[in-house]
Amino acid sequence: MGSAAPTIDRLRQTLAGIDPSLRPALPGGSRQIGFDAGIGAVLGGGLACGGLHELVPVGPVHLAAATGFAMALAALSGRGRGETLWIATDYAASEAGGPYGPGLDLFGVDSARLVMLRVPRAVDVLWAMEEALRCGALSSVIAELTGDGADAGLTATRRLSLAAREGKGVCLGLLLRHGGLSMPSAASTRWQVAAAASEPDRFGGLGRAAFELSLVKNRRGPCGRWIITWDHHEHVFQPAVPVGVAAPPLDRSDRARLSHAG
Amino acid sequence: MWLPRLSTDRIERGLATRDNKTPHIIAAPSESALRLTAVNNAATALGLKPGMPLADARAMFPSIEVMEADAEADLRVLEAVSDWIDRYTPLAGLDTPDGLLLDVTGCAHLFGGEAAMARDLIERLARQGFHARATVADSVGCAWAVARYGDVTVIPRGETVAAMLPLPVAALRVEPKTAAALARMGLKCVADIAGQPRAPFAARFGDGLLRRLDQALGCAGEPITPRLPLPSAMAERRFPDPIAREDDVLGTIEQLAHELGRVLERRGEGARVIALALFRADGAVHRLEIGTGAPLREASRVKRLFEDRLAVLGDAADPGFGFDMIRLSALVTERCDPVQTGLAGSDQSEELAHLIDRLGARFGLRRVTRPVAQDTHIPEYAVAAMPAHAAVRAVPAPICAGQDSLSPVRPIKLFERPEPIDAIAEVPDGPPVRFRWRHVMHQVRRVEGPERIAMEWWRDDRGNKLTRDYFRVESGIGARVWLYREGLFGSETPRPRWYLHGLFA
Repeated sequence: MGSAAPTIDRLRQTLAGIDPSLRPALPGGSRQIGFDAGIGAVLGGGLACGGLHELVPVGPVHLAAATGFAMALAALSGRGRGETLWIATDYAASEAGGPYGPGLDLFGVDSARLVMLRVPRAVDVLWAMEEALRCGALSSVIAELTGDGADAGLTATRRLSLAAREGKGVCLGLLLRHGGLSMPSAASTRWQVAAAASEPDRFGGLGRAAFELSLVKNRRGPCGRWIITWDHHEHVFQPAVPVGVAAPPLDRSDRARLSHAG
Repeated sequence: MWLPRLSTDRIERGLATRDNKTPHIIAAPSESALRLTAVNNAATALGLKPGMPLADARAMFPSIEVMEADAEADLRVLEAVSDWIDRYTPLAGLDTPDGLLLDVTGCAHLFGGEAAMARDLIERLARQGFHARATVADSVGCAWAVARYGDVTVIPRGETVAAMLPLPVAALRVEPKTAAALARMGLKCVADIAGQPRAPFAARFGDGLLRRLDQALGCAGEPITPRLPLPSAMAERRFPDPIAREDDVLGTIEQLAHELGRVLERRGEGARVIALALFRADGAVHRLEIGTGAPLREASRVKRLFEDRLAVLGDAADPGFGFDMIRLSALVTERCDPVQTGLAGSDQSEELAHLIDRLGARFGLRRVTRPVAQDTHIPEYAVAAMPAHAAVRAVPAPICAGQDSLSPVRPIKLFERPEPIDAIAEVPDGPPVRFRWRHVMHQVRRVEGPERIAMEWWRDDRGNKLTRDYFRVESGIGARVWLYREGLFGSETPRPRWYLHGLFA
């Protein structure tokens, strides 16, 4: 295995010469959004700003979860300073509701740093997103596409990826498709998002937002599946305590060793 | 300026052949009969006059062509002419139904004097198929009267009274009834009235007649109400040969923006609203207006904004045979002090403001918004979408921050109108057990609530005063939604209805 790594690096460089969107992240210039160790390892550190990422809900009911995940990523990319642009068609806003300021504030997303754009058609969404990614004044752009997002095919997403790269590598591009998991795309990653059951508090009420994430496409590494929660006070993703897993055995070997040592 | 044949000109311009031999008349019902309202030159030559009953005209010429009157179309044509006439002076007002009032003070010398200007105006309008008569005078009333009842083009300064005196009374812009009553008394021309004592006229006709008299003689002022807002600064360019290529148009816009920017810079101002007028060679005028978030005078940015705007308009800004004049004007300006830019790269907020301007120029400023918190506890009114270029950044009021819950108490997405759902509760005023939303049945796994929100007493214009009990619900598949039951069971309604208002992450 040791001899394969240089070969893969060389191949990557060759590919980068052919397609600029495959070029490795700018050294030092591009920021990354941190996850916990499990997801971070797969992404090579974290989710790269200055790139395009796609989020697709598992079903129509899970659209709000995908929206929440996108908003949480936007909050992380802004780090309390950057601005977020939300682009949706009129139809998308009436179909799936509009972003709600007070709720976003409570969710950990500063609604005073949110700009919302409503456009008439899906192609306008793509145009606006490209311009916004390129301008380099925003920390994240979220674009909502209804249906299977057929307007955002391979060519359109490649344009968006390049625009995100041109924009000084600071802007996180998030394409939120209402459906269309099988659409071809040039995005760096594609996430399938479902709402997961939240961990209830001790009175049985609702817990923190929990997401079941499947990384179904990753240009830089393997895919995976995780359940995470969003801590809206600390602004951090945390791995959810798996529900329904058998309790660890009491006579585990590591504990046994510790007790010997103690 | 008077367009005596506006209605018939409108129809003849629409015909394939310009044939001024065919008589055209236009009729409309008035005074319990169909009467002629407009006739063209050929019809006048046959002895037809406005006001004549249509039956008489038909009896004289059975084969004559009659059109129906269309006052709205006439007004549209008049507005189009007024748009076009903007090239002479920005201060132009409509004088319905068939006239325009222009303030040419300080503009005439650009066209070689008042007489030359009027001649040019009439000639150009004639080429477009309009019969026009124009008079330049000291007072609006005098110009109006001489254009219609006289045959002089320019009334020199100080000769207003002399020009007015021989004209008939109707030239004073009085009601036809008043004019008829004056004629019965033997007062036929302006001189008959101007020399008389004023009190009897005021007693008999009110002050309308005397005011019109004073306005015509130049004793009383009469402002012109401009149809379009007057720009604070403007730059324009005329082309001997019309230009049609988009690059040329945009290049000209940038040059004009430079000129405009220099004017504004001297005043220490920047433009907040910029209007572009493209005068097409055939007389049509395209007007575009863009607003900016911050005072702007940078030419390249102005050009960029109009580039985006023109790209959307497409065929709506069709150059046709080309534009022969382009004008850029700053309608609203604001103080704009030069800012010292930092050495450490460009300013993010300025970049963002420009992006917002560009998105606004393309999609409309109302479509780019920021949420601004409002002081109310009704969920749908608690936040308002303000245009992003004007929004003041307010610190959002933390609502319900004291609520003891692990999850946020407000949804991240809210529906504009709450969606009706079928919900089943164990008891009529209890939390829901299952609900059906968009044809999908959801079992309620966890629920928090109720949070009771009563409507404000003054918001009862739709008769909607029912109290809402909100529940935060997590369904069996993990979806978290915000439901409410409208109406208190028993005291407000016997059958409370359920709605889904928002979605949690």
